[in-house]
Amino acid sequence: MSTTLRIALLAGLLALVSNLAVIGFIYYRTHDQAAATLRQQVIEQGKVLADVYRSGGRPALDGAIHDTMTYADPQTAVAVIGADGRQVEGNLDAVPPSLLKSREGYRNALIRLRGQTTPREAALTMHQLAGGQWLVSGRIAGEGLAIRDTLERSLLIALVFAGLLGLLCGLILAHYVGRRIGEIARVANRISARDLTQRVPVSRADDAFDRLGRQINAMLDRISTLMEELRLLTDSLAHDLRSPVSRLRSAAFAAAHATDPHEQEELFGSVIRQADSLMRILTAVLEISRSEALTGRRQFAWFDVGELADELTEMYDPLAEERAAKLVYDRPAWPVPLFGHRQLLAQAISNLVENALRYGAAGGEIWVRVEPSERNIRIEVADRGPGIPPERREEALRRFGRLDTSRSDEGAGLGLALAQAIAHLHNGRLLLENNQPGLLTVLELPVQAELPPAPAE
Amino acid sequence: MGRKILLVEDDRETAAYLAKGLTQEGHSVEQTTNGQDGLFRATDGSFDLIILDRMLPIIDGLSVLKALRAAKIETPVLILSALASVGDRIEGLEQGSDDYLVKPFSFAELLARVNALLRRREARVNPADHRLSVGDLEIDPLSRSVRRAGKKLDLKPREYLLLEYFARNEGRVVTRTMLLEQVWDYHFDPGTNVIDVHVSRLRRKLDEGFEKPLLHTVRGAGYMLAA
Repeated sequence: MSTTLRIALLAGLLALVSNLAVIGFIYYRTHDQAAATLRQQVIEQGKVLADVYRSGGRPALDGAIHDTMTYADPQTAVAVIGADGRQVEGNLDAVPPSLLKSREGYRNALIRLRGQTTPREAALTMHQLAGGQWLVSGRIAGEGLAIRDTLERSLLIALVFAGLLGLLCGLILAHYVGRRIGEIARVANRISARDLTQRVPVSRADDAFDRLGRQINAMLDRISTLMEELRLLTDSLAHDLRSPVSRLRSAAFAAAHATDPHEQEELFGSVIRQADSLMRILTAVLEISRSEALTGRRQFAWFDVGELADELTEMYDPLAEERAAKLVYDRPAWPVPLFGHRQLLAQAISNLVENALRYGAAGGEIWVRVEPSERNIRIEVADRGPGIPPERREEALRRFGRLDTSRSDEGAGLGLALAQAIAHLHNGRLLLENNQPGLLTVLELPVQAELPPAPAE
Repeated sequence: MGRKILLVEDDRETAAYLAKGLTQEGHSVEQTTNGQDGLFRATDGSFDLIILDRMLPIIDGLSVLKALRAAKIETPVLILSALASVGDRIEGLEQGSDDYLVKPFSFAELLARVNALLRRREARVNPADHRLSVGDLEIDPLSRSVRRAGKKLDLKPREYLLLEYFARNEGRVVTRTMLLEQVWDYHFDPGTNVIDVHVSRLRRKLDEGFEKPLLHTVRGAGYMLAA
């Protein structure tokens, strides 16, 4: 069975059930026990008179009619009507002509009793007598009897209609759902055919389909961004590896052709250094992708950031001294606990410190600060170097985004990008700010990020 | 003095290259190319060191390692892996490997680590004399005091740790990454010569004013402390 048909049937069934409930409720509220009793009495009375007629003929019936008119309550109607529509016997003043065209049995009609001024509603039974005459007997009823009867009949008809309408609605609904899902499926199909520019059409109605569509579109946006980043990365990787690889190649070539053993040894040393720097670039690129993919979150643990920064400044202190700079760090008096990846954060902080040593050492002092607040921890590295103008900061954070291309000897421009990726891994961010003058880099990290579960392996 | 080394590596070229180099160093090398066989042979426990590739057919390296440690076989394990990220290395070490080396590596780096692991095993087996001495250098790990030719050297805590690590690997090459991992416990590769600066500071305190240097630079590999 197709989904469309299933939806249609389900909708039809639901419509039927709900209509049944509504109709049942209306019937229950309008159904009058008194009306039912009245009907019963009228039918009984008709039957009695018909029996009298059958056993005693017209004379007996006339007597019974008389007795009824005399003794029964004044609301009772009883009459024998001729084939011409005139009353032969009885207390009816006016008989609606439609009454005579009907068949035997029970019905409602407007009649006027003798001595009354307006016709009133009555429940009647009709019996055919010999010679085309009719025996009419019944009672004047309260108002609304006919309406109630009509209502009950209508309810029955409504029930049938409701079922059919429900089915129809179901078909329309199924068609609509099918169309909306079809749109999404078409986009998905085209995307599997490698066209990532497709988007699910979203209406202004903001219904569930629109939300689904928007989610899919957001997902596609993210995928395209990642693909674009990947393409950029591959391009820049290919571009940036070109020069170290060609340097490596020429060093290897020179080493192979060197005649002086001492010079050859020197050249081989250079080959190894070049290869090492290539490896370092590849490792850093890999590390960035790993951090962005959030796989490192499985190794998160609590540790003291103050202590980590202490360790790292101690480690870089001699290097700073060698470059005529001074590393200044005031360790907070209290532990600064953070739930994170100690090794990767060590790498991020060391990248920032190395960056400051590389570009800001001329300024003399480099400050490392750990500033805990209620929710975030700011790990700051500040220098008095040339800084980075605001419009170039984004570029500085990109992979291979090395601003000063003239200094080809140091760094591949991955340090800040890696620090940023590690900040993202911790649900934090890397900020580049003005140290007035100089560069202030800040790792702003939540103490314990509300992390979505790390992707499974 | 040769040792028994089990080499579990599925890349035949790498395996042959490593086996040749280690044999030349006087070790006896047994080779296998898959994790299952590697695990089977390793369980006999008669090896001094296991060199285990991380990605192996049938059973991967980390599972072999886990199985060995679960069976209480404490043979030192050196993991070789093309997975270079910090997370991968930490994972390898957490699973109970004693060292983790990322491919591609130089043979000098591998040899330095192999020797350090074998040495550590020896030290673990025979911890009787905990005083360390290299030539006229004397180190007391308990009081963390260092003397050279009877003269007390004033070292900062990290410089002491560096020297102690060198001394425990006396006569063996120690690479920069080994120092960063063992002395600082960091598993990333810094882009600067930060380790060299620390070593040259230590060297100044250690060798300045003495005729015979103890701390040597080994070209293309690292450093060595030797009398």
